Amino acid sequence: MAYKLVERPDLTLAERLYLPAVMKGLSLTLKYFFKRKKFTREYPEEPTTVPEGYRGLPALVTDDEGRTKCVACSMCEWVCPPEAIRIIPGSLEEGNPVEKGPKEFTLDTLRCIFCGLCEEACPEEAIFLTDQYEFCGESREEMIFTMDKLLEIGGTRIKGVKKWKKESDAGFHNKGPIR
Amino acid sequence: MPTLTIDGREITVDPGTTVIQAAEELGIYIPRYCWHPGLKIAGNCRICQVEVVNPKLKFPCTIACNLMCGDGMVIETDSDEAKKARADVMEFLLINHPLDCPICDQAGECTLQEFSYEYGHDKSRFTEEKVHKSKRVQFSDQVSFDGERCILCTRCVRFCRDVVGNEELCLVERGDHEEIAVANGGGLTNPYSMNVIDLCPVGALTSSDFRFKSRVWFLEETPSACTSCARNCAVDIGTRWDKVMRLKPRENEHVNKWWMCDEGRLNYHYVNAADRLGYAYVQQGGKLVRTSVDDAVAMAHELIGKLPAEKLYGLISARLTNEEIFLAKRYLDQVAGAAGVGFLPRIGEGDDFLISADRNPNARGAGLIGVSAAKGLAADIKAGKVKGLVIFGDSFDHDEELMGALADLDFLVVMDYRLSETAKQADVILPGVTFAEKEGSITNIDGWVSKLNPALPPPAEARRNLDLLAGLLGRAGQDVPDTAEGVFRLLAETVSAFTDISYGEIFAASRQVATDAVVKAD
Ligand code: SF4
Ligand code: SF4
Ligand code: SF4
Ligand code: SF4
Repeated sequence: MAYKLVERPDLTLAERLYLPAVMKGLSLTLKYFFKRKKFTREYPEEPTTVPEGYRGLPALVTDDEGRTKCVACSMCEWVCPPEAIRIIPGSLEEGNPVEKGPKEFTLDTLRCIFCGLCEEACPEEAIFLTDQYEFCGESREEMIFTMDKLLEIGGTRIKGVKKWKKESDAGFHNKGPIR
Repeated sequence: MPTLTIDGREITVDPGTTVIQAAEELGIYIPRYCWHPGLKIAGNCRICQVEVVNPKLKFPCTIACNLMCGDGMVIETDSDEAKKARADVMEFLLINHPLDCPICDQAGECTLQEFSYEYGHDKSRFTEEKVHKSKRVQFSDQVSFDGERCILCTRCVRFCRDVVGNEELCLVERGDHEEIAVANGGGLTNPYSMNVIDLCPVGALTSSDFRFKSRVWFLEETPSACTSCARNCAVDIGTRWDKVMRLKPRENEHVNKWWMCDEGRLNYHYVNAADRLGYAYVQQGGKLVRTSVDDAVAMAHELIGKLPAEKLYGLISARLTNEEIFLAKRYLDQVAGAAGVGFLPRIGEGDDFLISADRNPNARGAGLIGVSAAKGLAADIKAGKVKGLVIFGDSFDHDEELMGALADLDFLVVMDYRLSETAKQADVILPGVTFAEKEGSITNIDGWVSKLNPALPPPAEARRNLDLLAGLLGRAGQDVPDTAEGVFRLLAETVSAFTDISYGEIFAASRQVATDAVVKAD
């Protein structure tokens, strides 16, 4: 059997007493107590900022005309590993440049694992992981976020895909991949 | 008989066979948009490019759908030349195609997507403005049209012209402004119009009923059969969230080829309806009171046993499966000793294509098992000849004569899938299921036996009809199998018409295997 015998080191008297080591430790604590700047924060009174690219609560966004960008394609619903998203698609009324949109869009925040796959799968750039990390409720139902709530959290994003813009509109380029 | 080589494999075919058909026989799939086995050849989409190996040919590629097999021909379906030709065709087809996939109902079962992925380029070189055409046009209440998505394969036009025999759809305009339109400003009104939705290889023609209900990849598809008339067209039941989302025809060479009628396709909403029976009920002091299914079965059996047998009549619906009819009849004949059994006839308007005038899906099966159309039932009740009525799987809410006669009965027992007006008069209601929740076989007007498969679980406490019937027989000490397979065996032993049909033939194959044994036996 392969094993290695470890010799117990011979401790000096000071080491065996333990007290000097305790003193050393305490003095270090005391030094930081008076001298160094604080690393902890008085959360929640003092909120934290999160780094760029933080994966917080997924939310829906609107375009510059206030329209829901989501077209209810269900790509996010399909890709979501814990099946947190549920969409009931609907037909938008005649005259609207968009034919299809979500009638209901719910996100079960208790199921979401903040993987970001929904954002990656979305062909319309309509769902984003925000920097929101604070959301709580008193019941499970409350933690299933509705479309209105998700849109409120998401706000407006001007940049990105704007599929429904007419090709005749200024600044439109149709050079994307064909599929 | 020409012998040719396709992808290194030799095959001898009948004269007049096309290369695409010969390849199909070998199990080699050549992509296609305009070609369909049930339609005439058009040869306009050009995607079925194959290479004819012949050093004398300067351009070796040609389309396989209208190329007749010749003796000694050598065809390559997957060579670099053929693939390059397909990629070029794809590029042309996609020039004006909108990027609609995220909102297109066809996505997921769209061959334009599939072949583009397989053979197409990943970038478009087309930088000009795309041609815009009509979108969101209703060809009828049931068929929506999107001109921009159309690839002008003319399958829909040919279906109307050659299969249905009316020229309701046509091509208008020319060049890249060409579009499909309803001819003469009329509508798409034929009773088979929705088949163009399945035929359309892209999302240009989509179902208004299924519009935006669900992406197709979420659907679970269960092979089954339509029960709206005696044709029994083979279908796939698409379900999601424990609801039926759509019915789609499934190929069956003996029954419906590739098609089904619109009425049958849309007749599934009652499965999802709110009036479905989820619980058993008994009549107590003029009110229906919920009870357990087992108690209700016991009560029904007791009621039936109390009445003198010659006053008892059993209505066994010809909408039930062969197995259910068989068990119901066995119960009424052997246990209850009913004076008569019969089914309610349902006659509508038929045609010489698919729709049968007999709207009972299993009248033929019922006849073979020994249940014929009920005659003069209302009069018999009025005359006091019938005092107790048992209805298995049926209702007659709109038959005023029969509804009026119900008051003269001593008791009424109903097994059905919904709380019909008829059922509301019953002393005991047993909650059964619809075609979408059960397994079993039905016999069509020509004797072909098809299989129903359960796509959904029974709602709430409802039970499969076979369980309820086996429960009733069990009360009388008769031990019968409660699986469709077991009952079918029993049926085949007892009823000669079914003897030659093996369970496996109808039940094992995912594609319906029909047998004409019933026709012969009749
Ligand atoms: S972040 Fe991941 S788990 Fe959360 S909704 Fe998106 S896909 Fe689903
Ligand atoms: S992937 Fe994007 S557009 Fe599609 S349903 Fe989800 S949020 Fe909406
Ligand atoms: S509507 Fe569909 S079936 Fe008809 S020509 Fe266009 S692509 Fe073909
Ligand atoms: S023809 Fe009859 S069996 Fe076929 S789809 Fe129509 S109703 Fe159903």
